[in-house]
Amino acid sequence: MDVGVKIIDSRGAACPGPITDLARAYRNSKVGDIFEMWATDKGVKADTQAWATKTGNEILESREEPDKIVIRIKINKR
Amino acid sequence: MKKVLIIGGGGGGLILANHLDTNEFDVTIVDKSDLHFYQPWFLYIAFKGSKRKISRPIGELVRPGVNFVKDEITEINLDERKAYGSRKVVYNYDYIAIATGTSPDPDSIPGLRQIYDEYGDYHSSVYNSQKLWSHVKNFKGGTIAIGQASPTCKCPPSLLEGAFLLEERLRGMGMSVGISDSISPSNGNDPAKTGTKGKSRIVFFTPFPRAYSAEPMNRVVEPMVKERGIEVMPFFDVDTIDVQNKTINSLEGESLKYDLPIIVPPCKGPKIKFTPETVQDEDRFIKADKNHMKIPGYDDAFAIGDCNTLPTSKTGVTAHLEAMAVSELIQGKYSEFNGRINCPFDTAYGKATFVIADYKNPVVPYPPTATKHFMKMSMARIYWMTLMGTADPIFERFFKFTTPEKLNKKYASVE
Repeated sequence: MDVGVKIIDSRGAACPGPITDLARAYRNSKVGDIFEMWATDKGVKADTQAWATKTGNEILESREEPDKIVIRIKINKR
Repeated sequence: MKKVLIIGGGGGGLILANHLDTNEFDVTIVDKSDLHFYQPWFLYIAFKGSKRKISRPIGELVRPGVNFVKDEITEINLDERKAYGSRKVVYNYDYIAIATGTSPDPDSIPGLRQIYDEYGDYHSSVYNSQKLWSHVKNFKGGTIAIGQASPTCKCPPSLLEGAFLLEERLRGMGMSVGISDSISPSNGNDPAKTGTKGKSRIVFFTPFPRAYSAEPMNRVVEPMVKERGIEVMPFFDVDTIDVQNKTINSLEGESLKYDLPIIVPPCKGPKIKFTPETVQDEDRFIKADKNHMKIPGYDDAFAIGDCNTLPTSKTGVTAHLEAMAVSELIQGKYSEFNGRINCPFDTAYGKATFVIADYKNPVVPYPPTATKHFMKMSMARIYWMTLMGTADPIFERFFKFTTPEKLNKKYASVE
């Protein structure tokens, strides 16, 4: 695991869903932080993309692993 | 006899206590209040002016043999198996279950304390709900901003339930709702009568991407939100409130002006000092594994209901099912919580739905009906039996026949 990457584990979350954990982490973040989100909710990719566009942050990577979806987000604006 | 100590006499604490065999275990509930409240009814106090009595003494809700002590636990040492109350009382245990629920935190957002004290809310108490009702019933027109101040909130459907019941109330008072009120609701209201008593706007703000956080349920309710003239501001996570200029500012950089603010404050975990302190997260919620509710590193300590960090909704049904699983685990049987949620969702005008999902299955796009509304209203009546365990056979059957897997086959594929 990289140093300074905050893991947000939202696996299993269906309602209210992974954005809850992302928004919580965002509140306590600073510019330059990197989040790695783990989720199983299928809508997480589209939602995270919409969130990043809205907040001015950046999706670095989005990949599907057998047991989870992994999304890396860089905080550019806070 | 092994001692089971339960901190909190809410739904989770009572259901756990009432499912333990008191011939085998010495069971004690400790709560700082001696009253238990049916919290889902706050909604009807705040938006319908309900005067129903929704509290009962905890001491009358426990089965014979279960002890109840009114005391405030301030410190828990998980390594020494000790909890500390006021007046230096020490409670020893063999098993402990933390079931305190959450506490509202209006001081973590600038400006929110003033709003909270003046307008109340519909999540934290009867008093606050009555306060909000006094503003709702006397509302003369303008913009009502309604929503949650933080993504961590009890009862995800309750936020929109508030907006729906508010809209029903305002139209019932003869007001128009929405910027252009050209769309008349298909709810039986006489369009000729609406809008004669003033104009209002309901702006529903939410930190989520859409009106309802879980997308499948949003597909069901979004058309209703639009039809009723409720405006939605998604990705709006409250940062500050400028009380002077009546404006809410979001972390995402937007602002919203209001005449009447209805803001559910952020909620946090219990104000208890834990040893080790690492069992609480930054918002004081207690870490627990999502299937067995065990606090990491301890086989004798559990956290159930709203106070834990499980990746599920903070709602009565999860507290209920987690408590049932923990009661089995303490009694030496294997059991696990599968993440099942079943949150009643009042969509106003006499209809309701349920938000149903579990860890493995997404939320069902379950349509609102009058029957489900009747079930929600009935729950308010049989709730007290639920706490005692008397209604278990009904719930067992209900959960079996309404698994999200089954319901999704029926409802999610019709698209």
